[in-house]
Amino acid sequence: MRPVRTIGVLAAVSIAITLLLASCSGDDSESLTVYSGRNQDLVGPLLEQFTEETGIKIEFRGGDSGELAAQIITEGDASPADVFFSQDAGALGAVSKAGLFSTLPESVLDQVPEWAQSPDGHWVGVSGRVRVLAYDPVEVTTPPDQIDALLAPEWKGKIGYAPTNASWQSFVTGLRVLRGEDGAKAWLEAFADQDPKAYPNNITVLDGIEDGEVELGLVNHYYLYERIADRGEADVKVRNQFMAAGDAGGLVNVAGVGILASSEKQEQALRLVEFLLSPEAQEYFANETKEFPLVPGVEAEAELPALASLQPPAIDLSELDSIAATQELLEETGLLTR
Amino acid sequence: MTTASPPVPARRVRADRRSGLRTSPVLAGAAVATAVITAVPLWYLLVQATSEGLAEVWDEVWQRRTLDLAIRSIGLAVVVTAGCLLIGTATAFLVTRTDLPGRRVWRVLLALPLSIPSYVSAFAWISWRPSLAGFWGAALVLTSVSYPFVYLPVAASLRRLDRTQEEVARSLGKNPTQVAVGVTLRQIRPAATAGGLLVALYVLADFGAVATMRYESFTWVIYGAYRAGFNPVRAAILSLVLVAISLVIVLAEHRVRGRGAAARVGGGAARPVAPIPLGPARWPALAGVAGLLTVVLMIPLWLVVQWLFRGDSGTVDLGELGRALGTTIGVSALATIVAVVLALPVGLLAARVRTRWAQGVERVTFVAHALPGIVIAISVVFVGIRLLEPLYQELPMLIFAYVVLFCSFAVGSIRASVEQASPRIDEVARSLGARPLEVVWRVTLPLAAPGIAAGAGLVFLATMKELPATLLLHPTGTDTLATKLWQETAVSDYASGAPYALALVLVAALPAALLTRGREEAPVS
Amino acid sequence: MSALEVRGLTKRFGGVLALDHVDVVVPAGSITAVVGPSGSGKTTLLRLVAGFERPDAGTVAVGDTIVAGAGRLVAPERRRVAIVPQEGALFPHLSVAANVGFGLPRGRGKGPRVIECLELVGLAGYDKRRPDQLSGGQQQRVALARALAPHPSLIMLDEPFSALDAALRPQVRAEVVAALRADGATAVIVTHDRDEALSMADQVVVLLDGRVAQAATPATLYRAPASAEVAAFIGPGEVVSGERRGSVVHTSRGELPVDVASRAPDGRVDVVVRPEPVLVYPPTDAVDRDPVDADDDGTDRRTAGASGVDAVAAVAEDEAPA
Repeated sequence: MRPVRTIGVLAAVSIAITLLLASCSGDDSESLTVYSGRNQDLVGPLLEQFTEETGIKIEFRGGDSGELAAQIITEGDASPADVFFSQDAGALGAVSKAGLFSTLPESVLDQVPEWAQSPDGHWVGVSGRVRVLAYDPVEVTTPPDQIDALLAPEWKGKIGYAPTNASWQSFVTGLRVLRGEDGAKAWLEAFADQDPKAYPNNITVLDGIEDGEVELGLVNHYYLYERIADRGEADVKVRNQFMAAGDAGGLVNVAGVGILASSEKQEQALRLVEFLLSPEAQEYFANETKEFPLVPGVEAEAELPALASLQPPAIDLSELDSIAATQELLEETGLLTR
Repeated sequence: MTTASPPVPARRVRADRRSGLRTSPVLAGAAVATAVITAVPLWYLLVQATSEGLAEVWDEVWQRRTLDLAIRSIGLAVVVTAGCLLIGTATAFLVTRTDLPGRRVWRVLLALPLSIPSYVSAFAWISWRPSLAGFWGAALVLTSVSYPFVYLPVAASLRRLDRTQEEVARSLGKNPTQVAVGVTLRQIRPAATAGGLLVALYVLADFGAVATMRYESFTWVIYGAYRAGFNPVRAAILSLVLVAISLVIVLAEHRVRGRGAAARVGGGAARPVAPIPLGPARWPALAGVAGLLTVVLMIPLWLVVQWLFRGDSGTVDLGELGRALGTTIGVSALATIVAVVLALPVGLLAARVRTRWAQGVERVTFVAHALPGIVIAISVVFVGIRLLEPLYQELPMLIFAYVVLFCSFAVGSIRASVEQASPRIDEVARSLGARPLEVVWRVTLPLAAPGIAAGAGLVFLATMKELPATLLLHPTGTDTLATKLWQETAVSDYASGAPYALALVLVAALPAALLTRGREEAPVS
Repeated sequence: MSALEVRGLTKRFGGVLALDHVDVVVPAGSITAVVGPSGSGKTTLLRLVAGFERPDAGTVAVGDTIVAGAGRLVAPERRRVAIVPQEGALFPHLSVAANVGFGLPRGRGKGPRVIECLELVGLAGYDKRRPDQLSGGQQQRVALARALAPHPSLIMLDEPFSALDAALRPQVRAEVVAALRADGATAVIVTHDRDEALSMADQVVVLLDGRVAQAATPATLYRAPASAEVAAFIGPGEVVSGERRGSVVHTSRGELPVDVASRAPDGRVDVVVRPEPVLVYPPTDAVDRDPVDADDDGTDRRTAGASGVDAVAAVAEDEAPA
């Protein structure tokens, strides 16, 4: 009975490992379960700081923001989550629409600009991420600051973009909101005629500029600053062009938090939200994740323009949840599988 | 003189096959229980899809776009399955039946692409050759990671083959090619189609490759409905369409498989037969195998290794890597054991009881296989939080999700290996006084052990690579190699994920290599 | 006491009647052969007796117990009917000793019986081998030892020698019979080979078209077949029509003497002319070809060769076209 014995041994080993694992995750009443669409590597140190200051432990569950929203909605009232920390406003809007967030106090909401919070007070933005045009300063002396300028013949074949990137798709969704379906389609078709080069993600778009494959790239602002932090400013050729006031290309999305109404730890959860808006955390976002702090008075890194100087297009971020139609449009214009 | 001849036809064969296990209600009950477990996603999908009324379902399904997506997904599945059947069968034949130089080494290497997650392979390819984006890139990646689903069972089947049939055909004046097509191919057909079924379902369910290659398929849109559209109803409706497509495939496979299968009647050992000399064709054959391995194995691995030495990779926390490795192995082993134990009654039943309900039970376990991981994950969330809340996001729930996802791997290979063992042997055992379950334990299982081990290997590999369900259901604070890899790559370059990707591929390579070892190769002293 | 008693056994597969009111009685300690052409229902009979099929009508009794029919269906493992299938069907994952010991109760004390059974089949010392290291004949003998080991009420052998070389067959056959006799086992051998049936069995049951055409000792069967079909099936010969008058049949080939035991009345008859009185056999071949003469009490007594036997003209009842 050799196979039987082998199975027996395997079973014993894996049960032992499992017990070991189980013993590691201790149950703590003074802990918050955070569903986070933000990466643990990015926000982990910040949350550790919170634990240090308050003694409240964080049970961190990372994942894709949208999938976590779907999970919360599926879990409903039974959700073990206390706080949902999302990478973009759309996922927060979905949970808010499902009526699963509790309402945040005015004192919290008032700390950030009105455009960076839920209209019904269900969630609040904690950091901002801006769409920019990355460019090669050697080849391009005066980069365009409007998306329509990208349609000029001189840029044909010289623009990089990441068609599957959620932020790119948010940009297109914003375009649809701002210009209507026909207007958005017209721009996308003209853009497609420019023979833009598709990359797997924002990082590879920057690589493409560094390697001279393209001269411009539609990306989020912080990838450049992370790269500079990694390699040193001298070794990075790429620079960011922030878009003109009100231009659709300069969409500002937020990462934000909401407290689940089903949570029995409303008080502790609120402390976490307040912590994320504290100067300490805001500076962390500015310096570590290279995002825009959303609480006025907190200085961003030197190379970032002041948040107040940005004039994003007027869009209710909650409207950025119709991505299915966006994907369809991208498919239709041939931009998805270029 | 009248002879008593109309020999009783196929019907009797059927009755014969049934008899062995007919009287084990325990087994039947266990099989039904497994089917119920694996049907959990269907329950969720039906509830969710109809939650906004049937009109909504109708509207969503009867759209030009749904048809387009179906055609795109089916097209990809057809091309990849055809490619895998071709590559899998040809390579299996070369390494088991011919004098191809170095065939023992090739035999193992050819199974290794199974250890590369589709998302890693796809990312490697597209960052190297961005022009691959689209249909052919997706087809390339999916074919290169899933042809072992055909290669492994066909190679095993070729090794077990009753060669007297081939010899008879040769003696009747057929040339080697005619024999290969008319006799050998027909005998390996059950193994090949079963592998093809796994490939087709795998392609329908895959997200990693199609997303990275930017080929818009059903899965991508379903993921999009969760990730970006926050529309679980739409996701559920589209998933049901996917289930319908997969049902058609499962039924079609059953048709094609035929009743050919079956056991060698005798209990004797297979006689070793001299390998077919390739002659001058050996060099093109060798070049073909080497070229294939370069594409499916060496290039992706080389690219991953390169990331390791790229600038941004930062320092690897070896302790963390070790912990993730331990967790991955432990959790995968546990999931494998549970999945195999649950799959056993279904596989036994499907092999021995050829009734409609037994086949229905088997098919249910396959349907979940065509669903994207996120759908299974959300269904387990849905059911878990309602029925088993205390276990939610605890280990048992994660194992449960893995079982739903990958049980069919084990069912398929258990069924195939039990079918290979003659039901006569079961009958002898019973005539010697063994009860039905005792027969299973003392005869059927040991005989099917190689197949069970192969199924276990497949489940283990798939579990190691699984991501979406792991992310949603893992116990808080535990990370697997796949979740770490995701975590690293989600923020920055693949470079920082490279150590995890490599660890994953290397650890998975071991069971993948073991899958190429059959019982037939055990030394006969 | 009879070891097996089958009464009125009937089995249909769909529209095909495989067995039609079959009666078979196997006395304890005897060897019975069930013989018939392929498709005659032999294997179905075996499977019904062993418990792998459910009869449509009739009863099967093993020893004193009804195991099928009369509202009962005893599971195969409780019938004490051990089978020896074609090609042996040894458990390939078990050693020879483990194969033989398979049907013995768990625990100690298996060993001596395993050794004993292996000795019975002439394979002492093979206990550690694996089935794939044995020749076909050896596998078959291990299969028999495995069936003998638990002292079943009945052993059923299904075409046990069909897979063996023709040259090997007589020897293995003799060894099997010897082993069965030595262990005092009761056996039913299912075969399509009439020579096998006639040479091994105390009693031969001829199945034709799912019916028992005749059940008798080999000698009776050979000399006094119940019908022309039985006669033709059971041995070589030529059918000649003629007219019986007392102890002589007048045919176109001349006058033939008739076995007095023949029940055919005077008048038109078919005569089967056996080759034995006509052909001269080389002595070696004769050993294999001999009809077996057995007394009604079942003891084994072989007649020595065909020479000197009365003209073996078997006469059938009048079934010839009138």
